[in-house]
Amino acid sequence: MTSIAAHSSIADVAAQDLIIRVRGLRKKYGTLEAVQGIDFEVQQGEVFGIIGPDGAGKTTTFQILSGVMEATGGDIQVLGKAPRDARLGIGYLTQRFSLYLDLSLEENLRYSAGLREVPEDLFLERSRKYLKLMDLDKFPKRLAGQLSGGMKQKLALCCALIAQPKVLLLDEPTTGVDPVSRREFWDVLATLADEGVTMVVATPYLDEAERCDRIALIYGGQLQQIGTPDQLRAGLGLHRLEVRTEAIEDAERALTTPQGTDSSIIDVQTFGDRLDVLVKDIQTGEAQIRLLLDKSPLDGQPGSPVHISRTEPTLENVFVTHLRQQGSDPPFIPFPRIYPRENNQGEMAIYAQDLSKKFGDFQAVKDVDLEIHYGEIYGLLGANGAGKTTTIKMLCGLLERSAGAIILAGQTSNLRSAELRKRMGYMSQKFTLYDDLTILQNLEFYCGVYGVPRHARRAKIDWVLETCGLTGQENMLTGQLPGGWKQRVAFGASVMHEPKILFLDEPTSGVDPLARRQFWRLIEDFAHNGTAVLVTTHYLEEAEHCHQMSFMASGETVAKGSPSQIKAQQPGQLIEVGLAETQVASNLLKTKFDPWRVSIFADYLHVVLDRPDQQISELKSILQAAAIEIRSIRTIPFSLEDAFIGTISRALESQTGGAP
Amino acid sequence: MKLKRVWAQCVKELSQFRRDRLTVALAFLLPFATLLIFGFAIRLETKNIPLVIQDFDNSAFSRAYIERLYGTNQLDPVRWFRDKLAQDSINQGKASAAVIIPPDFSRRLKEGKTSTIQVLIDGSDVANARVIKNSIRATNTFFLKTEGLLPKQSLITSRTRVWFNPGRQESLYMVPGVLAINLVLYPSILAAIAMVRDKEEGTIVQVYASSTSATELLLGKGLAYLSIALSEAVFLMMAAALIFGTRLAGDPTPLLVGTPLFLATSVMIGLFVGARSNSQSAAIQVVGAANALTTMLLSGFIYPISNIPWPLSLLANLVPVRYYIELTRDSFVRGTGWPGIWFVFPALAALGLVLFWGAWQKLQRMQFSD
Repeated sequence: MTSIAAHSSIADVAAQDLIIRVRGLRKKYGTLEAVQGIDFEVQQGEVFGIIGPDGAGKTTTFQILSGVMEATGGDIQVLGKAPRDARLGIGYLTQRFSLYLDLSLEENLRYSAGLREVPEDLFLERSRKYLKLMDLDKFPKRLAGQLSGGMKQKLALCCALIAQPKVLLLDEPTTGVDPVSRREFWDVLATLADEGVTMVVATPYLDEAERCDRIALIYGGQLQQIGTPDQLRAGLGLHRLEVRTEAIEDAERALTTPQGTDSSIIDVQTFGDRLDVLVKDIQTGEAQIRLLLDKSPLDGQPGSPVHISRTEPTLENVFVTHLRQQGSDPPFIPFPRIYPRENNQGEMAIYAQDLSKKFGDFQAVKDVDLEIHYGEIYGLLGANGAGKTTTIKMLCGLLERSAGAIILAGQTSNLRSAELRKRMGYMSQKFTLYDDLTILQNLEFYCGVYGVPRHARRAKIDWVLETCGLTGQENMLTGQLPGGWKQRVAFGASVMHEPKILFLDEPTSGVDPLARRQFWRLIEDFAHNGTAVLVTTHYLEEAEHCHQMSFMASGETVAKGSPSQIKAQQPGQLIEVGLAETQVASNLLKTKFDPWRVSIFADYLHVVLDRPDQQISELKSILQAAAIEIRSIRTIPFSLEDAFIGTISRALESQTGGAP
Repeated sequence: MKLKRVWAQCVKELSQFRRDRLTVALAFLLPFATLLIFGFAIRLETKNIPLVIQDFDNSAFSRAYIERLYGTNQLDPVRWFRDKLAQDSINQGKASAAVIIPPDFSRRLKEGKTSTIQVLIDGSDVANARVIKNSIRATNTFFLKTEGLLPKQSLITSRTRVWFNPGRQESLYMVPGVLAINLVLYPSILAAIAMVRDKEEGTIVQVYASSTSATELLLGKGLAYLSIALSEAVFLMMAAALIFGTRLAGDPTPLLVGTPLFLATSVMIGLFVGARSNSQSAAIQVVGAANALTTMLLSGFIYPISNIPWPLSLLANLVPVRYYIELTRDSFVRGTGWPGIWFVFPALAALGLVLFWGAWQKLQRMQFSD
């Protein structure tokens, strides 16, 4: 008897540790098989990431795990039950549909609690706790619709947490959320993981995926890879070399020329002021790069300095390389141009001085200056609600400015004239396409609106369809497309008339890394052909593609320059600390330094120090006092994201009068 | 079923409803406007029909006859030319009827012979034509009696007394019906919108992801909109009492019990349609069209149900508002109480349950369908 009892208790423990078990999950929509047999398991307390291109079947998987949709086949167990029966133990957070925007914070929470039968006293206790944790406790009466994107997602997380679920399913929770809020959001997730909450999270941001314990890469409805971030990176068997040079375009051309099968170079990517080169072997790879760059003259002056630094591949490299091997790299198809290229390089396309906008008492934009030339890509970066969209709307004449001057393509007034509008393209965050029209009808509509000559329409529409990989599916309803694909079609629709000035408001929000690279190739192609591009994005690593940029906070410009200049402007130093207990260490350090100075990157901490000489030893002693072992500690260059967070946090600090 | 979840759903619906001031205002203003329009504008009784008379006799007799014709308030004189054809007045739409009195009208009457007058009636409005015909026929008899050309004493005489609504106030016929129409139309539209909005905006996924059952969801939403409908009902009945002078006739308990029951079926109509459509515009069209057709044509509001030809008349039995109109007319006009209208209650309850089941059927999985 005793042995049987002991045996069964061991089995119970094992069963308890296994929170999610998926075997042969399949889902068919009509004839389309969205998920084609997926197996994985998630252990108690794990943060399990799901990454994959748009339309890979991620959302379908989440809908089945959360019990809101039935699987076509397979054995799915959550908390030891069928998902439907486990719903009370699951918190489910979607990208957009988690909140009632016309209800207040409090009402949203109370509703979620009511649906999940949370008793009143526990509801009060937990809502206080989580609102405080998310920094939302100051305005319980505010309507959810009035919150910024980042705050909305934090509130949605509160709502999911109010029933203290054992599992959190998070389907792209940070899409459209700015980097500062994203870090805060992930810090909260880390806190929850520490409390033992199991999480499954999908994200198009691969830097976020670095913070997961394990990751599954899904593509075409199948699971391609699964493992810890380190395993995935190591599984690639490649090394990354960062190449910095003055003549970046020439260098890229030189390195991407086909080299034959014995070449060490696997992949080349432009990142604004540097090239990322993936090589099989560090030594031979570096030698080959130097050889290639020496052979071809860079910017007409052979021997201009080339810096190569050796690093390890990122998850993004893993993602891109795997999907390229699958042959799913979106093609680059030259844009069928019908107008001759104008010789306007260096002329001013967009100029704004002291641009301001007030909504009632609220100063949305204050004294913004911009100078953008033809052929230039200009990045406008800032937190949610910093005034980027308002600025763009004023520039393209959709919104009346309160003060300031605008010159657009040489015109100072009448910014809505038909002539000027034909030269401009605008892709907004939302509402660009009609969901209830087919893709083809949408594209035809935009051809008509922008006056694309009738004879050229077919070629342009075909180009959009081919670029998006939607040839043959043009009669699909636009509303049925996955979010990332819709963005691609919307981009196509806004450039078919060959605009000379292009406004792109978060074009890549929710788009997968491969498609984002395609986006930027297209944007760069337009810039090469003389188009001035003003773009906003929350992906700081892709903002490196911009020639010039400015950071906005609370409606004001707080930093300006090229990516390298902005990084160089950063006061202090960025320290990377390798240690095992990142969350404990981070919580500890945040009590000693400003919270924004400390952030978690997988099993490293990034700490910004203004006086590194003294503070490094201080940091070491703090960690030693808490018996946290330091694996490595070194100074690393600022990434644009670190620079962004530092600049924005400092600016907000000084605006609120140096509050903690 | 957990009451806590029903309650949470109900509270959330009411908060959302209250948040939108315009919706709140419309929920009361639109029924009120409907009440006024139907209460004042629709008159089934025909009055002031334009009538042309050409008198070629022009004697004391003919003038007395004309005076009699216009003596009722049903006919109104219209000026017409002596030398133009009387039928032109009808052709041109100036009059609905014309009476032509021949030159020998009084002579033949005095001689004791039948005198013929010509009456032309615009037949394009069937109901009016009948009224005019009867009116002229009655005038003829009355005229002959007063002029002593017929015996004053009839051998049969009817003593008429109008049972219920003795003053034959037309508003007493219309207003209870309008109340019923208002109380099916607006609550069902509001409930349909509430049901479909969650689906349209995608927030329904939160409900699906909790273990709320279809019954709890329907009861929660239903309860919220039932309470809104009840306040609409109280508001409209008070307005009707103030403006049209409707008063309860007899036992008030059937109305007190029947109104919440009827409102529940109205809300269920909305939830039923909402559960089965995916966009607000579709839901509103279905609820609007279904209600407009059934309340106008199959409810006995204007046209008596007994006039509806078989088998369409069977359909009328499935229209909840038909029963409530019987109830309101009884409560405000007839006052017979329970014995006269008991059948309304099981009928309404049965229809409400069928609608609830229909909505529940669609929602029972509480999942996305493929």
